[in-house]
Amino acid sequence: MSRKVLTVYCLLVYAFLLAPILVVVGASFNAGSFLTFPPQGLSLRWYVTFFNNEVFMRAIRTSLWVAAVSTVISTLIGTAAALYYVQHAGRGKEAIRIAMLSPLLLPEVLTAISLLFFVYSVGIGTQTMFAMIVGHVLITLPFVFINVSASLETFDPAWDMAARSLGAGRFTRFRRIMLPLIKPGVIGGALFAFIISFDIFTISFMLKGIGTSTLPIQLFDYLRTNFTPEAAAVSTVSIVLTLVVVIVSEKVLGLRIHRF
Amino acid sequence: MTEVSIEKLTKTFGSARAVDGISVRIANGEFISLLGPSGCGKTTTLKMIAGFEDVSGGAIRFDGQDVVNVPAEKRDIGMVFQNYALFPHMTVEQNLAFGLEMRKVAKPEMRSRISRVLEMVQLTGYAERYPRQLSGGQQQRVALGRALVIEPKILLLDEPLANLDAKLREEMRVFIRDLQRRVGITTVYVTHDQAEAMTMSDRVVVMFGGRIAQIGVPADIYERPENLDVAQFVGQVNLVKGTVREGGSDGRCAVETTFGVIEVHSARMHAPGTAVTLTLRPEAIELGAPGKGAKGTVLSSYYSGSLIDYRIELEGGDIIHTQAFPHNRFADKERVGVYAPADRFWLLGAAA
Ligand SMILES: Nc1ncnc2c1ncn2[C@@H]1O[C@H](COP(=O)(O)OP(=O)(O)OP(=O)(O)O)[C@@H](O)[C@H]1O
Ligand SMILES: [Mg+2]
Repeated sequence: MSRKVLTVYCLLVYAFLLAPILVVVGASFNAGSFLTFPPQGLSLRWYVTFFNNEVFMRAIRTSLWVAAVSTVISTLIGTAAALYYVQHAGRGKEAIRIAMLSPLLLPEVLTAISLLFFVYSVGIGTQTMFAMIVGHVLITLPFVFINVSASLETFDPAWDMAARSLGAGRFTRFRRIMLPLIKPGVIGGALFAFIISFDIFTISFMLKGIGTSTLPIQLFDYLRTNFTPEAAAVSTVSIVLTLVVVIVSEKVLGLRIHRF
Repeated sequence: MTEVSIEKLTKTFGSARAVDGISVRIANGEFISLLGPSGCGKTTTLKMIAGFEDVSGGAIRFDGQDVVNVPAEKRDIGMVFQNYALFPHMTVEQNLAFGLEMRKVAKPEMRSRISRVLEMVQLTGYAERYPRQLSGGQQQRVALGRALVIEPKILLLDEPLANLDAKLREEMRVFIRDLQRRVGITTVYVTHDQAEAMTMSDRVVVMFGGRIAQIGVPADIYERPENLDVAQFVGQVNLVKGTVREGGSDGRCAVETTFGVIEVHSARMHAPGTAVTLTLRPEAIELGAPGKGAKGTVLSSYYSGSLIDYRIELEGGDIIHTQAFPHNRFADKERVGVYAPADRFWLLGAAA
């Protein structure tokens, strides 16, 4: 009885979470000219329109580029921070954790505005993509930090001691013992960073330069004046892109957690 | 092969002295155990020998050379950890190869050394397995093999059997001891299990509160304990009160007890009339009909399979524990004769 209730409950939660996505995907195949559901006839015409839309194509490239660069940077910084946090931080441990997580705790708008002030007051401005990337790194950093620290917490210091007793220096130990063992955490964190960055709106909106709109901003712009199924096609493509990134990294880098 | 000499070794954490000036010389090929209760500084001592812990004071010498400033990775030690610490992402073979790769051993030699060690730890055929595919005892042997394949100067083991079940633990004791003898490597073994220390070691170092209470061969530790702490830590012990009758300048001392006058060894002079305490191990005692030995009354008895545990009150008020075979049982309150050979009594602090 209670098992059944639980099953139904889970299904409802799934439906609640997935239904909007399915609606968007369905609406993208609409043959009609307005964004409606259920679609009026099936067609790929809005995908064709989308892929021929130079503005959207540029936005997708910008988004991918910003996400890739900020993922690399926040993975490097976040991993280093997690290493310090788990292995060396003494008294200030809690303070470090809160500082690292604070971008998650503050409203994104606030972070965006402070960054805007900052980049203008130091004279960097928003002409280049620098400011936007800094913003994306800030927002994605906590995800890398959390994932890597979690995998470091399960790293047994005896492994490191064993490697030392066998004659391995600091660098060898990191490369051959620690890195392979915390890899799931690092890759998981990087994936999170990539997906989150791909999705960031507020920060990008405030800090973007001229002609460097990311996909979410371009979509927002588009929807202010149009209401065609092209918007659904854009969303569907970005969902697929995200999935591709996750699946490819899992296959290539081995996201799957080692089972010890 | 290596002789290890530890001199006035000290380790302080803040104001706490985890290891407080211990000195011991470990001969080439000797198997030494550090034995003591939890928190007495065994692991800390071992880590200082290995180089994982900085030294607060004193010296550690391998063959006369001070290694205090040599980092762990250059000390050439083999170490076995309580949880084995096998690298989970490497196969057995890769685990064994790791130390050899660090030493830049050529491939063909590496292969032959690994197969020789696998044979030694009885794991031939397991080379391709991952640690998670092995039982606890097998993982233990891989850990041992990984430490030995590099042919280190000394072998250090920190409670390596603590995670195994009782039966396997006893098998592994013998296994490790035999292996150590065959290889002839100087070994320091940390344990808080006195039976383990007794059965495996050439000499036992008993530690309390960061200090050495006694160093000696197992029989010395057990039968001639330095003080009450040592006596109680390495097994059950009975205390028998006595009065010195004759101090004796010849290293002997006659003590009057409920067992009669017992002559014990004593390096120190005792004035006649001094109250002293003798120790007596339970298994030295023979129970019988009243008449032989001291007079006693059975207080209680517990059946424990092959033996019966008795608690007996002696005439003078001393209460002793002993075990006896169940073939002649004594009832509670029954009067018995309690006999023990004179040479099984020991005067605490006699060597001092
Ligand atoms: N890193 C450390 N910082 C502070 N105190 C420590 C540290 N390591 C050990 N100690 C203290 O030093 C003392 C000795 O510790 P050690 O680990 O050597 O004990 P042990 O004899 O190995 O005990 P056990 O049988 O429980 O393993 C303990 O009181 C312990 O609390
Ligand atoms: Mg210990």
